[in-house]
Amino acid sequence: MSSTGATRARPRIGGLEAIIIGTLVVVVGQRWIAGAFESPAWQAGATVFVSIVVQAFPFLVLGVVLSAAVAAYVPASFFARALPRRPALAVPVAGVAGAAIPGCECASVPVAGSLMARGVAPAAALAFLLSSPAINPIVLVSTYVAFPGQPSMVLARLLASAATAMIMGWLWLRFGKGEWLRIPSRDHLEGDTRLQTFRQVAMHDFLHAGGFLVIGGLTAAVLNVVVPTAWLDVLADNPVLSVLALAGLAVVLSICSEADAFVAASLNQFSPTAQLAFMVVGPMIDLKLFALQAGTFGRRFAVRFAPTTFVVAVLMAGAVGWWLL
Amino acid sequence: MTREVGSVILILVGGAVLRISVTDVFLRYVKPDLRPWLIVSALVLLVLGAWGVFDVVREARDESDDEAAREGDAEHGHAAEEHAEGGHSGHHHAPGHVGPRTAWLLVLPVAAIFLVAPPALGAFTAERQGTTVAAPSSGLEDPFPPLPEGVTVEMAVSDYSARAVWDDGRTLAGRSVALTGFVSAAPDGGWYLTRLALSCCAADAYAVKVKVLGVDVRPQDDTWITVTGAWVPGGGTQSPDAIPWLQAASVAETLEPVQPYE
Repeated sequence: MSSTGATRARPRIGGLEAIIIGTLVVVVGQRWIAGAFESPAWQAGATVFVSIVVQAFPFLVLGVVLSAAVAAYVPASFFARALPRRPALAVPVAGVAGAAIPGCECASVPVAGSLMARGVAPAAALAFLLSSPAINPIVLVSTYVAFPGQPSMVLARLLASAATAMIMGWLWLRFGKGEWLRIPSRDHLEGDTRLQTFRQVAMHDFLHAGGFLVIGGLTAAVLNVVVPTAWLDVLADNPVLSVLALAGLAVVLSICSEADAFVAASLNQFSPTAQLAFMVVGPMIDLKLFALQAGTFGRRFAVRFAPTTFVVAVLMAGAVGWWLL
Repeated sequence: MTREVGSVILILVGGAVLRISVTDVFLRYVKPDLRPWLIVSALVLLVLGAWGVFDVVREARDESDDEAAREGDAEHGHAAEEHAEGGHSGHHHAPGHVGPRTAWLLVLPVAAIFLVAPPALGAFTAERQGTTVAAPSSGLEDPFPPLPEGVTVEMAVSDYSARAVWDDGRTLAGRSVALTGFVSAAPDGGWYLTRLALSCCAADAYAVKVKVLGVDVRPQDDTWITVTGAWVPGGGTQSPDAIPWLQAASVAETLEPVQPYE
């Protein structure tokens, strides 16, 4: 009887064996592996990689906890009542609601997935996905602090980001195809109790998003080490190129929206509109976020949604910057 | 990915983050304010992971009793997983799949933290960029108050640079100051006393550089030094990429500070 139990248990720990073997290899080969990372470029790349993952980590955990709470404790009927039934109206409501929840972009991806699984119209959930990291109170306050004496920058950020989120929601409503989007299913995660559901969704979401966070962090680290930032300065004087340059930098840097205002403020050789573009694009689309979206909603969705978001965000930042700054 | 593997990965990631954030190692990667958030979120993952392992062990025990009673035969490898994937057949609802294969990538940062323990960024990063002297915030009434009393004033490199560049060194004139930073190469073959500053994390580190005059022997790149000396005009003002000068009275090697960035 005990031997049957053992046979039965073996396949369940197959993955564990991989981890144990990996740990052994690592312990035995530590000197050799660490030695391979001695060149300054490798070390700098590893530092940047770890720093992106570590910086995003608390926000990602916050996001999966929120999304698990939505899945376990908020009944689907709540959203049916809270949001207008017509998706075209639900988009702006969800976009504005995003402002109330202080999350980083890594947090909003699993939360938006949870909202869709709860029956919220995808267009509205996507408006939330984009607006929540861009215009929540923490982000606006940090923008105010980073640009002292320039409150118009806060207003410009709010307007350009909200406009981008809503336009993207409506674009999805008009042109989006359901088959592009993989709505994360929660059914198999339902537990006996709400607490069980909470735990299973949290683990599921963290494992899904975490791997893609690593991919995004790796890409950003490689670009960080390979592409010197000095070439950006060449573009600073051209009004159009400078906006595109900082929008592109936001995509590559993949920093959290709570802190990006300080980075934008330090890029003061660029025009205010270019700085605005950096802050509007960054929370909505960057390498890490693209990887997270691909992991949560499917690659077919991400390759369409991400570039469109970039274009709309740059246009909105340009328009609002031209008007206000 | 099965639930036990997922749980172990959660524990590994949570453990790695906890380990760097209870020590000062995390300061190489992010700003100090992030510490409480790192600790709390690491604990959340550890609890989730431990809970998962606990459940798996308990269910495996229950199940092996059940199964033994029911059929006593289960030699094919996938029986357990198929059974689990059915999910609702028994009194438990263990999903066979909790994560995609990409979740394995989460072992990379864990390996990087425990194995490579990447050091704080240094000369390599600094030499690939110019200097960035942040202009004083226009909202402040007096961005450059007089330096504190004392014979020698220890200053942040960014503070020294800002005073030298944006205030034409007014508050620095005639004072003895001590700056701590690492050595990075200058394009003209000389060297700078350099400190990196973060806005958010090491991914956006920018360099602040000071040219040190009056030192005959060039210290090695990436050596941490404290230079005591006095401000002398030169290197340009009123520009974020000006590199101010410092006339050294003495140079002492020092250890890397606990907080490597400013």
